[in-house]
Amino acid sequence: MSIFSLKRKSLSDVFFDIFIYGTCIIMFLAVAYPLWFVIIASVSDSGMVASGQVLLFPKEFSLFGYKEIFSDSRIWNGYKNTVVYATLGTTVNLLLTIPAAYVLSRYEFKARRLLMFFFIFTMFFNGGLIPTYLLMKDLSLINTMWVFIFNPWTVNVFNLIIARTFFEHTIPKEMYEAAAIDGCNHFRFFSQIVLPLSKAVLSVIALYYLVYHWNNFFTGLIYVRDSGIQPLQIILRDILISNQVFGEGAGTGGADGGYAQRYADQIKYGVIIVSTLPVLVIYPFMQKYFEKGVMIGSVKG
Amino acid sequence: MKKFSAMFLVFGIFIFTLVACSGNSNEEASEETEDGVVQLTAIMLKHPLTESLENMEWLAEAEEKAGVDIQWEEVSADWDERKNAMLAGGDIPDLIVGPNAITDGDFAQFTGLFQDLNELMEHAPNVQTMFDEKAELEIIATQESGEVYGLPKYQRYWPESATMQFINTDWLDNVGMDMPTTWDELHEVLLAFKEEDANGNGDTDDEIPFDWAPVGTGGFGFFHPTVLLGSTGITPSESGTGYFAEDGELKNFFMDERYKEVVVFLNKLYEDGLINQEVFTQEYTNYQSTARGDGDTAKVGYTYGWEGTDRFGKALAPQYTTMEPLKMSDDSTDDLRWAYDNNVLNYGTNMIQMSAQTEEKEAAMRFINELYDPETSMQVLFGSIGESIEDHGDGTFSVLPPADDSMDPGTWKWTKSWADNGPMYISDSLELELGTDMQAGNLQQEAYQDAYSRTDLELDVYPGIFLKYSQEDNNTMSLRNTELMNLAMAKFAQWVTEGNIEDEWDGYLDQLNTMGMPDNLELMQPYYDEYLSEIE
Amino acid sequence: MAIIKMETKSSDLTIITKPKKDTIFNTFKRDYQLWLLILPAIICVGIFNYIPMYGIQLAFREYDFTAGLTGGEWVGLKYFIQFVNSHLFYDLMRNTLMISITTIVVGFPAPIILALVINQIRVQRAKRVLQTTVYLPHFISIVVLVGMMNVILTPSGIGGNVMSAIGLGDINLLASVKTFIPVYVLSDVWQHVGWNSIIYLAALSAVDPQLYDSAKVDGASRWQIIRNVEIPAITPTIVILLILNMGTIISTGFEKIFLMQNSLNLPISEVIETYVYKIGIVSNQFSYAAAIGLFNTLINFSLLVAMNYLAKRTSRISLW
Repeated sequence: MSIFSLKRKSLSDVFFDIFIYGTCIIMFLAVAYPLWFVIIASVSDSGMVASGQVLLFPKEFSLFGYKEIFSDSRIWNGYKNTVVYATLGTTVNLLLTIPAAYVLSRYEFKARRLLMFFFIFTMFFNGGLIPTYLLMKDLSLINTMWVFIFNPWTVNVFNLIIARTFFEHTIPKEMYEAAAIDGCNHFRFFSQIVLPLSKAVLSVIALYYLVYHWNNFFTGLIYVRDSGIQPLQIILRDILISNQVFGEGAGTGGADGGYAQRYADQIKYGVIIVSTLPVLVIYPFMQKYFEKGVMIGSVKG
Repeated sequence: MKKFSAMFLVFGIFIFTLVACSGNSNEEASEETEDGVVQLTAIMLKHPLTESLENMEWLAEAEEKAGVDIQWEEVSADWDERKNAMLAGGDIPDLIVGPNAITDGDFAQFTGLFQDLNELMEHAPNVQTMFDEKAELEIIATQESGEVYGLPKYQRYWPESATMQFINTDWLDNVGMDMPTTWDELHEVLLAFKEEDANGNGDTDDEIPFDWAPVGTGGFGFFHPTVLLGSTGITPSESGTGYFAEDGELKNFFMDERYKEVVVFLNKLYEDGLINQEVFTQEYTNYQSTARGDGDTAKVGYTYGWEGTDRFGKALAPQYTTMEPLKMSDDSTDDLRWAYDNNVLNYGTNMIQMSAQTEEKEAAMRFINELYDPETSMQVLFGSIGESIEDHGDGTFSVLPPADDSMDPGTWKWTKSWADNGPMYISDSLELELGTDMQAGNLQQEAYQDAYSRTDLELDVYPGIFLKYSQEDNNTMSLRNTELMNLAMAKFAQWVTEGNIEDEWDGYLDQLNTMGMPDNLELMQPYYDEYLSEIE
Repeated sequence: MAIIKMETKSSDLTIITKPKKDTIFNTFKRDYQLWLLILPAIICVGIFNYIPMYGIQLAFREYDFTAGLTGGEWVGLKYFIQFVNSHLFYDLMRNTLMISITTIVVGFPAPIILALVINQIRVQRAKRVLQTTVYLPHFISIVVLVGMMNVILTPSGIGGNVMSAIGLGDINLLASVKTFIPVYVLSDVWQHVGWNSIIYLAALSAVDPQLYDSAKVDGASRWQIIRNVEIPAITPTIVILLILNMGTIISTGFEKIFLMQNSLNLPISEVIETYVYKIGIVSNQFSYAAAIGLFNTLINFSLLVAMNYLAKRTSRISLW
């Protein structure tokens, strides 16, 4: 009997594996191909890309797009600004969000329902652009780097809810009660027990905030007029738009248009790569916190 | 615990900065430097190709002559998104420059934010001269209630129409046919283009007989097949939303039987596979690159464009020629028309405006006046004397070819100057020889001169740019137009690709009626009548 | 004030006498540390999110620049009525609902399945490669994404060739009323499925390994482990996210729809957001746009409240 069941189980496991890996391969191809396409399109002749001749390998290879992007001196400044805003911003975001999420996860905290509603309400209702702009103006945040860090998205309620849900279901009520008996207060419990147990969710929330700062384009657009403090995304958009116009030509009288036509799209695809690469590098560092058992290990260790 | 001290520290700093900063918010008032030069701030809505304003010699000179030093902020994208917050916050610089950057609607909505320039007109003799010489410019500049908030431009040299129709004469020779003169003949020619190997590369399938520019969802624009309406006696002019004038009466072609004829014709062509399959989905860049073909091999037979080399590239342009307006059929009317865009191409509203909070209004007005100086205006449009314009010393000038060989004259112009985005007055008495691109373009316009000679430029041309509506009327109209175009443009696309216009036409007319197209016409007509009486 | 005082007094008494019900006030002293932890977030949200909310009344007033946001003439429900009576109202609502419901039905389960599948991969390297790849598309900007779709899905592109190979060659994927929603939703899934699965992967990583061990001892198959160990572990996250998703039911991604719009798919692609954009741009109808926005918000918010109530009744998981 036991041999039988063992055999049957491994057989079903084999089917299971085939199913899993099959799905993975399909998913991988479905995602990877368009991405590969972006890469080859960024170094190929735009006309050939547009007419569907570039499928698997680059054609008429050239690095013109990248040369054009990096020849713009503003881009390094943009990188610097974005890195500063993203690190500083994410730190502030986490300092505000994570303690709040912990508090809201405590069942004995009587104001939790009320405060939860207080936060969620802002996900739906907002005063609109104009009153927000006036507020920023009154706070003298317009045209300063602080507007990237303190704005209506500083406490992202979605992230707050995610973190709270996580705390609720991984930090049992009894844990604090036990710690309290040992004379541990909330500050200590939170910093010495809760935080080490929550690396996975901390890294997710940090990643969410970081990527938000990295891609944030709207804040710079509306609240900042000094080009010296604009983030990368605004500068890339400027580059993108000026080259798009080259391609369009009409009314600008682009007579031979050879330059324009061939390279406008190269820049478009190049910009994706230039703006995405740095965030990609971060992901593997975060990923290690998702591995199974990290949490329990840290408790025991 | 450390983390928490850190957290409260950061928050404390935050509160502190807020408090500290709110104290010194009003430091940016305009001020004079020792030598009497007035400091001003300004926004320029420039074309994305335009280089940094710091490099523009003519601008530095103009500022110097006016005794001002302007700190420029350059904007080339997403203006609409930024504008609303800026205006509603009352947070504007001394000057705002750009084509209709601030609209009449904005002036009406944000009362008191902008300076009535009438009060300062004594400091701007050049602007006065402009108004004296061209009364219509004063009409454009003056609001319904009499104020002048934004000043217009006049650039004189631009052609009557932005849209010309081009046909590939090499292909005509290859398929052994003559230049078509009627819709039916055009149909035959396009069929031949499709079925035979018109471009002679051995492939009978790679020819696109007919292509037009991507049509938006908000109405028509340049390079669209609405020019075929000229065959029916309608003169399309600023008619994105369908309005046109006929014998002094305003009408809308979206509810005109003659428009239906055009759509039926286009549908016939589409069903025969003569129109680019991707005509409704392609992007503008694709539209441009398709027509530039593949090296020496042309891809498109019949299409619309601004100018030959711009549309087809240097290599292919010689294959194409402009074609006169077509008759619908042999026995139909001879009253052929063509799209008339002269007004929108040469005139522009609200090119420059001043904040009412400007402290040095006279100095700002001096600078504005300088821009409308005949020689400065010329440099606003084409670039600095010396680099882009040659001064012959006897009061005549000529536009120089690009100093950078890799650029064409058009791109060069947009790079080196404010070009069409600047305020300017190119007086009719200025003696300036144009560059090759403009000359060629104007030469190609020959094909339409007959049509224009038949057109009564007052009674048959809808002068949209000259009509100044009250804010309320303007809001009512544009709301209706948004809804109307939503229906009309979807129907246009559907009828061209799927047909069935005969069955649906009456129901469609009913819908247009209930959505208020006749009401809009009724509302607009008095404004048009008033305009006609003013230019008498 | 008197009431608060009384409350504190009675809470002092409770220690000695029989336990009384805890309230916000009488636990304040006990939980002051918790209050300190959450205070910065409250202040921040109070300043940046609540102060500007006075702007909401714009939906009920005429916009009047000189009188300020709160000074315009009170017009009550004028703009709401104008919207509901608009010729496009029915179409806008239908399109918006169809697009967002399809997005939720297809797009919501996808990252859950992906997370479970990824979690099954035993080869660590393959797992990392797949995870990093599927999360990449999230960073492609919408403009570029739509540009790529135009190149790939156009009749002469790969997508068009595939369509003609399966005998549907006369359907233009980009310009058909029938294909607009599938193309929109699937490209959305493609772009965000990897990114959205991160949160589930994080939740899965918190599963106690002992649970796996004991399941194995019990002879559970891998499918049974998924069903009895992993899915329960991520259920709270699923429910919370579902509630939040339902609260966005009449919101669609504006920019992508706007860019994908053409005159052929317009009958299905005009949604509330694109319409508001159009009326906002052509004429500064601030009040009208604000009213439509508020109309949207009210529906979304009531859906959220309803969903939250439902979830609380059935699974005892709730947002507040």
